[in-house]
Amino acid sequence: MVFQYVMRRLLLAVPMLLGAMSIVFFAMRVLPGDPCMALMGDQATRDALQDCVRDLGLERPVVVQYGAFLWKSVRLDFGQSFRQHYRVTDYILRMFPYTFTLVLASMVIALAIGLPTGILSALQRRNPLIDYSVRLIALLGLSMPVFWFGILLLILFSLHWDLFPLIGGGDMTTVLDMLTSGECVTSPEDFLAAVVDVLHHLVLPAFTLGITLAATVSRLARSAMLEVISQDYIRTARAKGLSERLVIYKHALRNMTIPLLTIIGVFMAVAMTGTVLTETVFTRPGLGKMLVDAIGARDYPLAQGAITVFTMMIMGVNLLVDILYAACDPRLVYS
Amino acid sequence: MRGRIWIGLGMACFVTCLLGSWCLPAPAEAAKKRILHFASKEPETLDPHTSVLGQVQAIVRFVYRGLTRFAIKDGKVTTTDVEPDLAESWTTSDDGTVWTFKLRKGVQFHKGFGEMTAEDVQFSFERQIRRSKGMLFAQNLEVIKEITVVDPYTVQFTLKAYDPIFLLRMVGYQHGYIVSKKAAERFGDQFGWNPVGTGPFSFDKHLPREKVILKAHEQYYFGRPQIDEVHWFDVPEDATKLLGLEKGTFDILQPEVVTADVEAQVKKIGAVLDKRGPGGQGRIYINMTKPPFDDIRVRQAYMYALDRQAIKDTLYPGALGNLAISPLPPGYFGHIPVELPEYNPDQAKKLLAEAGHPHGFTIKNYFINKSFFYPKMLTLVQEQLKKVGINVDAQLVEDATYHDNIRKNLNPFVLYGGTRIPDGDVWFGLFFYSKEMPDPATGNKGSNFSHYTGIDDLIERGRRERDQEKRATLYHEAQQRIVRDAVVIPVVDVPFLQPRNPKRVQAPFDPEYGEFAVHYTYNYPEMLKILD
Repeated sequence: MVFQYVMRRLLLAVPMLLGAMSIVFFAMRVLPGDPCMALMGDQATRDALQDCVRDLGLERPVVVQYGAFLWKSVRLDFGQSFRQHYRVTDYILRMFPYTFTLVLASMVIALAIGLPTGILSALQRRNPLIDYSVRLIALLGLSMPVFWFGILLLILFSLHWDLFPLIGGGDMTTVLDMLTSGECVTSPEDFLAAVVDVLHHLVLPAFTLGITLAATVSRLARSAMLEVISQDYIRTARAKGLSERLVIYKHALRNMTIPLLTIIGVFMAVAMTGTVLTETVFTRPGLGKMLVDAIGARDYPLAQGAITVFTMMIMGVNLLVDILYAACDPRLVYS
Repeated sequence: MRGRIWIGLGMACFVTCLLGSWCLPAPAEAAKKRILHFASKEPETLDPHTSVLGQVQAIVRFVYRGLTRFAIKDGKVTTTDVEPDLAESWTTSDDGTVWTFKLRKGVQFHKGFGEMTAEDVQFSFERQIRRSKGMLFAQNLEVIKEITVVDPYTVQFTLKAYDPIFLLRMVGYQHGYIVSKKAAERFGDQFGWNPVGTGPFSFDKHLPREKVILKAHEQYYFGRPQIDEVHWFDVPEDATKLLGLEKGTFDILQPEVVTADVEAQVKKIGAVLDKRGPGGQGRIYINMTKPPFDDIRVRQAYMYALDRQAIKDTLYPGALGNLAISPLPPGYFGHIPVELPEYNPDQAKKLLAEAGHPHGFTIKNYFINKSFFYPKMLTLVQEQLKKVGINVDAQLVEDATYHDNIRKNLNPFVLYGGTRIPDGDVWFGLFFYSKEMPDPATGNKGSNFSHYTGIDDLIERGRRERDQEKRATLYHEAQQRIVRDAVVIPVVDVPFLQPRNPKRVQAPFDPEYGEFAVHYTYNYPEMLKILD
């Protein structure tokens, strides 16, 4: 049953992915500004431009380029980046772990801070001191720009107290190499050191992104909780004389799982856009900043590859959320 | 409440992370090595013949060398004199069209790719002349007819015609770098990240979007550099670079732009600014093909309407820039100061009235939206022109679009900068030669944005002239003609500025214009020293 559902969802994902890929393909080409001109800037000469157009395969008709792009993408081959002298797939693979860990870590932080405060604020809504202060802090978090907060953290924790590194993403390559080669088992100390290094670099960026997103999560959690506790079954539970603890833990919180999953699903997309600024401020390798640079440089293959990967990630998370819905709520049936 | 426990848990996690990472011992070996921390931007490749980006041109100077180099005289690096580098000596035929270079013996490529020979020299130039994939500088080598390997240590260039700046072309810069033939053929289009040259540093590792690591070349022919490793960081934000300089994470910075604020902060933290001229010249080309600028009186009015000093003082106060004194910047062969029109809005109005525009006119012009220079410059120019009745309808576009549009001849005036081989021949040949007029009809995408034809004869005569003094005289006249015909307004010469921590790194030449900045960095990075 679940298998059939997943298959159907995956099939449905194909036209969506195709749509996203087509949009990015044509949008990049409609965008004024020539990739060769972007490559050469003020040093472009006529001959060099002609050579460049030939080298990048841009002299072919757009339809041919489009066909080649789609056909190669099936095998996850997005071609050679115009600007970076790497294959797009390799480059994205090297950037992916940085963005993935950042999104994951900031998600954990945002949920760890946002959920309890949101729920607290909902339950204590008749206590203005708690409710208003939580809402005020959430509002602050919402309106605080990532780049400002990030720089603030850098000045305090890196420059002033020298607790965290100023730039970089840590020795991710070593961690991944050791994981794949099995060295993480044979020399656990080195592996641990590399992991700690990566985490060390991750703390400030994850907090920056996590705290700004915690505000959103807190607001969402508050309204979700408010909705749940105004339900009839909560009133019934209270009416039959259950203690407030039991009402909240046994009935309200469990029923919040579904809105919570929705929050996580939405959150992933928001967090991914948030990585752009975070990665810039903390000079961290990653997909977000890479995508923005690729668009600025009119690096068609890299931008196309990055958008495709982003789309797949978001679709994957949404699929996962949908599957989990049913796992959490037996009333839901896949159809 | 349970919520408080959650918050407590979060805090505990944070503290654990913090302590865990803080207690981590620093790697012991790092302390022993002499590492230069250079904060710039990520180079897209280390193949010197395939990129025009400033950071690429800067880093390849660490890895590659050319046949000749800018001469060091009286403790300064000159801009127009050359001395032997990979070539030991050279001779030229009587008509100046055959150059024979004797190569230095025993020059070793990085990573055991063997001794450099005439074949590598021939290959390095021929891959560009053949326009192999990705090569950008064929135009700079157009004068070469043939390259012959006489013996392993002798290489001969036959030119199509006499070229007064041939030795300057052979300087280790852009097209002039010598790469290993064996390595380039082995790695093919992956050579960009498997670079092999003869320079003082060899490529070690690339961590994309983080840093490039270079290692001292043990067999460098002028002696191994004192520095063991260069860590070239990708730091897009200037603010982060400055934080890093203050913290000690970086020793040398390459900021996007040095403003008065940056200068003040650099001084505050005790760093020095290494200043190198002539740097880039910000100038405005007036497009003669766009009426009413076909009328010289309107162009002159434009020149009188601009308060160049005010622009310079606003954008580059104090020593951050110099008021331009010629359409050919100082430091270029053939430069002389020429008299440029003084700011005089009344004179501008009078000229406009004479030309039949007593109430002024409106023009549509493209500008770059995101940069330090362009938007600010636009505001100032717009304001000043408005005072005499010229309204600028500014269209803000992205960098790539701007460069595209100005070559489609869409702009009545063009703001432009840049550095070239420091010789009037190259400069005039690119910016004021009739063959370089951008024209969508012919598809020409040159950079003579004024569409000026007035010094063609001088450029061509200069190319035949073998007496350097006479050649300089020709260029003196060219500069005067350009100003007389009011086709370009040189505004400001901006030196290249690199903040450096003097307690960590010693630079070989005087911070005040001790060297030229054609490489966007130190000409001789092997002479940098880390102070222990």
